Amino acid sequence: MMFSLYCSIIFIASITFSQTIDFQSPQNIKLFADFLFCDKDYLRAIDEYEKYLTMVDDDSVRFKIAIGFSNMGDQYNAYQKLSLTKESSPFYEQSKIEMLKSLYLLNIDSSFYSSAEILINSESVYSNNAFRLKNTSLLLTDNELPEQKIFLIPFHNDEEYTLSNFYDLKKNPHYKSEIWAGVLSTIIPGSGKIYTGNYGDGITAFILTGLFGYLAYTNFKHDHQARAWIFTAVGAGFYLGNIYGSVVSAQIFNAKINFDFGEGVKFYLEEKNYFVPVYDFCK
Amino acid sequence: MIINNKYLFLLLVISQCTIYSQTDWVRWEKSDPMYQTNNRYLEREYDLSIQSTSDIIIKPVVNTYWFFISDVDGDNCPFNPSCSSFFAQSINETNLFQATLMFFDRFTRDTNAFGRPEHYPRFGRNHFYDPVSLYTLDEKKINYIPAKTYVKE
Repeated sequence: MMFSLYCSIIFIASITFSQTIDFQSPQNIKLFADFLFCDKDYLRAIDEYEKYLTMVDDDSVRFKIAIGFSNMGDQYNAYQKLSLTKESSPFYEQSKIEMLKSLYLLNIDSSFYSSAEILINSESVYSNNAFRLKNTSLLLTDNELPEQKIFLIPFHNDEEYTLSNFYDLKKNPHYKSEIWAGVLSTIIPGSGKIYTGNYGDGITAFILTGLFGYLAYTNFKHDHQARAWIFTAVGAGFYLGNIYGSVVSAQIFNAKINFDFGEGVKFYLEEKNYFVPVYDFCK
Repeated sequence: MIINNKYLFLLLVISQCTIYSQTDWVRWEKSDPMYQTNNRYLEREYDLSIQSTSDIIIKPVVNTYWFFISDVDGDNCPFNPSCSSFFAQSINETNLFQATLMFFDRFTRDTNAFGRPEHYPRFGRNHFYDPVSLYTLDEKKINYIPAKTYVKE
């Protein structure tokens, strides 16, 4: 009897107090989407925002969708969404600088520089941001840089030190001379490699060339012609190979300098969030 | 009550166990795992086709070296591509004279056992990545990869 009563209470209670929240209401969809956005689950947040936009017209949500794409690294879709921002939208100005960031990350140089120029010369509150992004990006191209004073104009005092360092490194990279590396190895085997920072390879080249040179010399001295010529050939191979290797080593050293410089600038841009504003959507 | 509560409870438990019992037996089936690791030396492509004049001398030498020395000796070269493959690829990329200089330079680097982890990217667990493209003297072909980066996991 008690058991039946217990079952009845559970059954009735579950029907009476069953969930009545409307998860599909626009407010709840937006709340859920905001939660996903702040949780950096941008893909699902965008889905929910898109669902919300079918019911409510909201500029901030449209902008958030674009930012979501941008944060996911999908700059193409971010750009497409940002380009739809209306002039009446409160995010119109922000969308311009965000579009510039997307163009930069899409590596479309021609569009990036023309858009940057338009934004720099406009009345936008972000024209200085565009100027800074354009000048920093110039460091990563083969284009001629303007004079240092002109280059540093848009940057704040705290940024000037880093940027002038980058400027100096771009203008005068700490390259190693390929010819000098080759000449050094011609004079003293292995010294060209040491010059390019490959100490182990330099010492090894010196030992190998010296060893085979010595073997060739003693074999010639003791009239072992065949062996002497074999050691001469191998020793000459190591000697010439080392001269060649030293030139290549300087090339690789210079490639490393370029790589490190590029990574440094890219890291700086990332750290500065590409000079776009930081939004407090999740406060 | 027609059925005793105790029996009803027992019946419920048994029916639940039967209905929701594990059905994915595949997971627990017997398997025949292979404990052998792939040896890329066994996948070597021996090729005797003559595509250039230098192939007449080089290909038989390289193939003979692979067959009688390299394959028997085992996977001992610390680099990828191995020194013999590096030489063969160098000939394809450049010419016999330049390839010979590249080979001697590679052999010098192979002899030096110090500082490799700080200098080369990794190719798998046991090799360092040292491709021909870095050494052809063509700066455009140099794709710098920082040391300690895994080119292949």
